[in-house]
Amino acid sequence: MTQIVIASVSRSFGTVRAVDNVDLTVAEGEFFTLLGPSGCGKTTLLRMIAGFCELDSGEIRFGEHRIDRLSAHRRDIGMVFQNYAVFPNLTVAGNVAYGLKARRVQPDEEARRVEEALALVQLAGYGERKPHELSGGQLQRVAIARALVIRPQVLLFDEPLSNLDARLRVSMRAEIRALQKALGITAIYVTHDQEEAMSVSDRIALMNAGKLEQVGLPVDIYRHPVSRFAAEFMGTTNLIQATALGLAVPHWVSLRPEALRFAEEAPAGWHLLAATVTRIEMLGPLTRLELVLDNGTPMRMATLDAPHHVLAAGAVVSLAFDTARLTVVR
Amino acid sequence: MRLAVSHQQRLPLAIAMLGLLFLGVFLLYPLFNVFGASMLDSEGQSFTFANYSKILGRPFYRAAIVNTVSIGAAATVITTALAVPLAFALARLPIPGKAAILALAAMPLVLPSFVSAYAIVLLLGNSGIVTKALQSIGLDIGSIYGAGGIVMVYTLTLYPYVLLPTVAAFKAVDVSMEEAAQGLGSSPARTVRTVILPIVLPAILAGGLLVFIETLENFGVPFVLAEDLPIFAVEAYKLFIGETAPNPASAGVLATLLILTTVLVLLLQRRFLSSRRFATNTRQAPPILKIGPAFRILATLYCWSVVLLALVPFFAIVVLSFLEFRGPVLHGNFSLANFSTLFGRDLRPLVNTVVFASAAALYVTLIGVPVGYVVTRYRAGIATVLDIVATLPFAVAGTVLAIGFVMSFNSGPLILTGGPLILVLAYTVRKVPFAVRSASAIVHQIDVSLEEASISLGRSPLQTFLRIVVPLMLGGILSGVVLSWVTVASELSATVVLYSGEWRTMTVVMFQALEGGGGGIATAAASTLIVVTLIPVALLYRLLRRYELN
Repeated sequence: MTQIVIASVSRSFGTVRAVDNVDLTVAEGEFFTLLGPSGCGKTTLLRMIAGFCELDSGEIRFGEHRIDRLSAHRRDIGMVFQNYAVFPNLTVAGNVAYGLKARRVQPDEEARRVEEALALVQLAGYGERKPHELSGGQLQRVAIARALVIRPQVLLFDEPLSNLDARLRVSMRAEIRALQKALGITAIYVTHDQEEAMSVSDRIALMNAGKLEQVGLPVDIYRHPVSRFAAEFMGTTNLIQATALGLAVPHWVSLRPEALRFAEEAPAGWHLLAATVTRIEMLGPLTRLELVLDNGTPMRMATLDAPHHVLAAGAVVSLAFDTARLTVVR
Repeated sequence: MRLAVSHQQRLPLAIAMLGLLFLGVFLLYPLFNVFGASMLDSEGQSFTFANYSKILGRPFYRAAIVNTVSIGAAATVITTALAVPLAFALARLPIPGKAAILALAAMPLVLPSFVSAYAIVLLLGNSGIVTKALQSIGLDIGSIYGAGGIVMVYTLTLYPYVLLPTVAAFKAVDVSMEEAAQGLGSSPARTVRTVILPIVLPAILAGGLLVFIETLENFGVPFVLAEDLPIFAVEAYKLFIGETAPNPASAGVLATLLILTTVLVLLLQRRFLSSRRFATNTRQAPPILKIGPAFRILATLYCWSVVLLALVPFFAIVVLSFLEFRGPVLHGNFSLANFSTLFGRDLRPLVNTVVFASAAALYVTLIGVPVGYVVTRYRAGIATVLDIVATLPFAVAGTVLAIGFVMSFNSGPLILTGGPLILVLAYTVRKVPFAVRSASAIVHQIDVSLEEASISLGRSPLQTFLRIVVPLMLGGILSGVVLSWVTVASELSATVVLYSGEWRTMTVVMFQALEGGGGGIATAAASTLIVVTLIPVALLYRLLRRYELN
């Protein structure tokens, strides 16, 4: 169980500030996600923790120990890579045993722990296989077993699921979280997929242009984004001037599509809006509607599939929303 | 500002320093001495351009420059004209026996070109077998000595340099580009001209450049075939070894001019290619084209005859080595006398060849693989310097490097002349660029994250290199070892300058037999060399196939 402290860390590549004065503390045993678009600095920050990228300034500590000047191979980290990085010249067992051999673990203990780790990722019996005989999902399990088996202080995940197909991504992320919680190893996870981030994380740091945009619980960032960037990155939203909703506050506000309802189904006291439907998109469980308010403001709305509503483009509807679901953003 | 060397940089920095130290002592220092000799007056006291004006003032040496460059240009043009259609046929036409053709086409690369030249003399020379036979029926084919014969041998031995990369390039053309061109209404012929050729042009040019540089640096072929025609590398050798008075200053001038010519050509090529890189992302090799039976027969004949014609001289030498010679004159009886004379006298040259080639191949690999790794993985200042310096031997003819070696290691703190080590070191320096290039190409294929995974699991960068990178490079390293071994075994240009007494190699034996007119020994030495070079290649071929099957 290790706390990770990132203090005033910066790194520039040429004139680009890839990581710009970042301060973060990841609690012991926490599953922490760095989330952001490509080029936001999340991968650079992860690679700094791993020791593959140097700091221009600042420091990184594991507990009391400063590690940013330590060689990468002495940091006691388990890392899982986007492209699996399973050694093609070794067997599955050879891959998992690799870090144990580096730590000079006794052969009988090594064999026991390799078996244990493979069982943990549901690959028991696959030890003698060669990597080229495995599927992408199996390869990523090998990579995870290889990172776990050394019982590292810290687990790092660099977009581990982005090479897998959509279905497998969903089941693997649940497995990864379950494993991390079972073992209690502090983990930092990098992804650009907000849904994945919300699904696995205890907390999320949303990054933008090298800086931390917002750090918090997934649900807090989703419901209370502090900025227009955070509001839009965490999912679909309506970003509008509050005055367009008929409210007397001179601010940008975010209103999630699912916070809107048809007026006849809304509790009394909600704020009402008149709108015209411009487009309907039926996605199965969800129906997305694009509308335009009477004052010309476009608006997006999402409802669960509701067969009793028969709507077509051009329909005039009355909408309602709870002002408590409005978030003022900068 | 960080002064301390960061932990990530330690290993590459150490490799780069060691690499530069080696190349500094055994490449830059000898070249500096060659250059220095060309710039000093006869007392060796003050700087002068007198040597240059003296050499360039003599029509003989001006002719040497013109001859060398024009022969090289002619050989390059003819080679390209021959190899590009061949490459297209092998990549895109239904030719029977393609794999065999490609394997046979690669053979001239590992066989010594001067052996081919000598075979041409035995077949088509003044008293050659074919010449005599044709004369007996009243045909005179004219002389094959001089520029014509040299260009012919260059074409037959160097065409694979253009062929092999061009075949690969034709195969790498994205089919969808062709389809796009034809979809836009372009005829097949126009598609080849406007879409395919521009894409393969860089590969053709790179191959052509290799041919041109090989001709500039070649010593053996003009030595056998030039007769009175002055040629750069041969004249530099004669000036330096000098039957009359050795003249290091003049040899230095020729050597410097030769290097400058090669560097100039390299720079021109780099400039030209830098603006013409086309990345294509092929999903699969382009389809074999459908052609009529007549065209197909014609293409098949063309492919097989080029490939076989190039091997005829080597085949002829092997046959001739089992015939009876009296002096240079050939008699038609089967005999093992040539071999018993060759090996009865002394087995040392064969042993030397094998030992030197093995040692050099080992050194080349030990230097080339780490250096190739560093120049590929790290883009920092010192890695760039290392990349340039490690490519430099490519532009230095064997004769020139050897002259520099003698100038540098004949006296002073490091005396190597007269021993075997000087040969091994010269071979090593000459082959390093090839090892670096091939290692670099393999490292490009290895994902960096494999190394990072190893490091994060607790292996140091050095251990990671040895446990992960080297095993993954193994196939390529093995090919590199064999290629170095084979080309060192048939190295002539540096060897003839550097060998001494008991450290003769097979190539020297052949060279001396040629000078002394001992046709029997020369053919026996030549066919021994052919066997010695083909054995490791065949072994490698088998080994790699097994490696790939696993």
